[in-house]
Amino acid sequence: MAGVTRGTALDRLMRPVHQWVWADGDRRLRKLLTFAEVETDGGRDILRAAEVTPDPLLRRLYLEHAVDELRHGDLFRDRGAALLRARGGGRGVLLGGNPLPGGHGLDDLKIEGEPDHRLLAFLHVAEKSAAGRFTIYRELVDDDPHTRAIFEQILRDEVFHMNYTYTQLARISPRTYRRHVWHARAKRIWNRYLRVAAAAAGLIGNALLTVMYAVVLPPFAWLAKRAERREPIGWVPIPPARRQTPPRSQY
Amino acid sequence: MKILGLSAHYHDSAAALVVDGVPVCAVQEERISRRKNDASFPVGAVEWCLQRAGLEPTDLDAIVFYERSMLKFERILTCALRAFPQSWRSFPHAIKNTLGDKAWVRGIISSELGVPRDKILFTDHHASHAAAAFLTAPTQHAAILTADGVGEWATLTVGHGERRADGSTDITLRREVRFPHSLGMLYSTFTAYLGFKVNEGEYKVMGLAAYGRPTMMEQIGKVIRRLPDGAFALVPEYFEFQTTADRSYSSKFIDLFGPSRHPYDPIDLESADGQRFADCAASVQRVLEEILVDIATRLRRETGLRDLCFGGGVALNGVANARILAESGFDRLFVPPAPGDAGCAMGAALYADRIYFRHPDREVPDHPFWGPLADGPHLARTAREDNQDVTELGDDVLIARVADELAAGRIVGWMEGACEFGPRALGHRSILAAPHDTAMRDRLNRDIKRREEFRPFAPVVTSDAADRFFELPAGGARLARYMSGVFPVRREWRSRLAAVTHVDGTARVQVLDRDMAPRLHALLEAYGLCTGIPVLLNTSFNVAGEPIVTQAIEGYTTFRRCGIDLLVAGSTIVSKRAAVAAASSKESGAWSSNSAAASTVA
Repeated sequence: MAGVTRGTALDRLMRPVHQWVWADGDRRLRKLLTFAEVETDGGRDILRAAEVTPDPLLRRLYLEHAVDELRHGDLFRDRGAALLRARGGGRGVLLGGNPLPGGHGLDDLKIEGEPDHRLLAFLHVAEKSAAGRFTIYRELVDDDPHTRAIFEQILRDEVFHMNYTYTQLARISPRTYRRHVWHARAKRIWNRYLRVAAAAAGLIGNALLTVMYAVVLPPFAWLAKRAERREPIGWVPIPPARRQTPPRSQY
Repeated sequence: MKILGLSAHYHDSAAALVVDGVPVCAVQEERISRRKNDASFPVGAVEWCLQRAGLEPTDLDAIVFYERSMLKFERILTCALRAFPQSWRSFPHAIKNTLGDKAWVRGIISSELGVPRDKILFTDHHASHAAAAFLTAPTQHAAILTADGVGEWATLTVGHGERRADGSTDITLRREVRFPHSLGMLYSTFTAYLGFKVNEGEYKVMGLAAYGRPTMMEQIGKVIRRLPDGAFALVPEYFEFQTTADRSYSSKFIDLFGPSRHPYDPIDLESADGQRFADCAASVQRVLEEILVDIATRLRRETGLRDLCFGGGVALNGVANARILAESGFDRLFVPPAPGDAGCAMGAALYADRIYFRHPDREVPDHPFWGPLADGPHLARTAREDNQDVTELGDDVLIARVADELAAGRIVGWMEGACEFGPRALGHRSILAAPHDTAMRDRLNRDIKRREEFRPFAPVVTSDAADRFFELPAGGARLARYMSGVFPVRREWRSRLAAVTHVDGTARVQVLDRDMAPRLHALLEAYGLCTGIPVLLNTSFNVAGEPIVTQAIEGYTTFRRCGIDLLVAGSTIVSKRAAVAAASSKESGAWSSNSAAASTVA
């Protein structure tokens, strides 16, 4: 199994970046708390899968998988909280987690609409990738035995997750399971592209709106501030005319 | 006439269907999507409502959105302009957020449902709150008070509602307090300051308040001023919710109250910081109560009416509600089961029916059970597939057995009929347990709810026995119908109701009439026969961070992964006690192809 969880070539290539992230206390903390959210969200999505699948065996396996993911979320959260306490509390240094937009749980997967074969393929690919990355992380937190122990524990679960998803995929789609795995890999890459593209679009949008804010808004801001000064504070009577606003008006 | 009410995009989306003036069904989107406080457009809730009523979208005569979205956009834009240049960071976010979808509600509804745009109507946000409170209450003529964070511009309104003898209905909101002056925003700011999630952690502030003393009233008097006309104003330099999306309080606020609490820091009431946070919660709670009691008292004097209908998210504050009832002079206080934004879906639909279309008033059934049904046979089938211990019993036997189990200290997941509309479990999606000792409270907190130790659990009691255990003022039983008031537990019962008695000797009790939930009522009576106390601990059927369960299968997966001993849905009981202790699939190899095949064949 060690070969399976070596990490992808990209992850190995990114090792210096991972090292940079895990070497710093703040970044380590942020990463752990982000993982806590991602694992918990993912666990809830898999729980949903357990609720909607018509296959009793898959329901049991999904349920066990979901319980694992929720527990992983707790482990990461508890470790993050312990690190936070150890360094005397965060004082606003921890903003959001992942800077990329979207991505509730499993890549915004709509569990209700996904047939089991597609979900299993997706889970298999995601678990395999996570196991690879966690193997690298485990090596990078040698100085922190508690965090390392968490990665070790999670890695054991991830191996079970990627194996059961593959076996079950082969069971329910004996002829096409390889194609489903390739499709899941391609979709994962596409989703990553979309997230990066959305993040880039967001940045461009922010820049344009900020320019607009600085260039176009000042006169309107002056008018708005002047109007504000004339506004009464306290009770404001509601004029009868407003009660007669046409129901189709959005204003 | 078929009218669909919708609320969406900020928090707690929902859909409600009113047919010929009477609600048929209503559900929050989170109960369908299984994402807590889901604010997205409620496609799932709409689909379920239409399916339940056997309608197609084209059958609808009107779709009513609970607020005027462009007016809200105007407020967001105006506030950004007023806060220029400090708002430079929040402006792009606010504009993208609003212009992304929130401003184009008519187009979204039209395209999602495939209905003509002229069928889509709008109401004022606070008119929706007012309608949800007044049109669902059994009163002819009542004063109306609404209070929340913010709607379009209004944050608090007062007025009155009247059902006339000729069947016509009127709701008149006379005056309002406008953004940024907001009791909801004040409370939410302290919620964030105390390290809790806004729009979710306000309950925690209320629970924490009981551990503190209101020693910071003077400081809070600096951040919110009372005005001679009885209204109030927030002092802008203490708040940042207008200028940034990152934080709602300013550095000056921190100078006044001390460093804020990080969400991951535990609250240790033995420490100076922990006590400071508790005192802070107690102080803001006291200020909120006093302002609300004062406004309600003036409203009582002004209108001369005996009933008050209270809506908006602030009406979820049970401690304040109890004080309004006790001190404002109103005889009865009606708070709907969903006073927050979700309830606006129902309010908007009823408002359109009675006010826009001028249809005669119809009596609205006085219960909160408008959501999807729990399917007992489905639960039985699923549990049997998983080799769980399943029993199907007739009503009398089932109730006697569950009462015995509860008396023996077991925890029961109780699902029955349609789920509640609103944030509270009122007996159809509840976790029930014996209310007698604190060990049960700790067990629930540790093994099931996984929540802060300082948060209390609520009791449910039959209406006949309520006065024996709780000090209910006149009108208290009505307020407690939907668990909307916090009242003292009688001193002599506190030690025997320890799991549901908060540190200050109070409880957020639900007083249950037989008509509202007959089976739970029967269970309470049976439990009373076993123990002499017809009171049960009643908490929502969910674990932390998840919405309350809706379908039986969701109750089942929750039951399987936490410390609930017994699951009941309709006539089906699933018991963990005698369940086959199946080995973990990891060890048993259930996932491997051979056993998988065997399992499939079996």
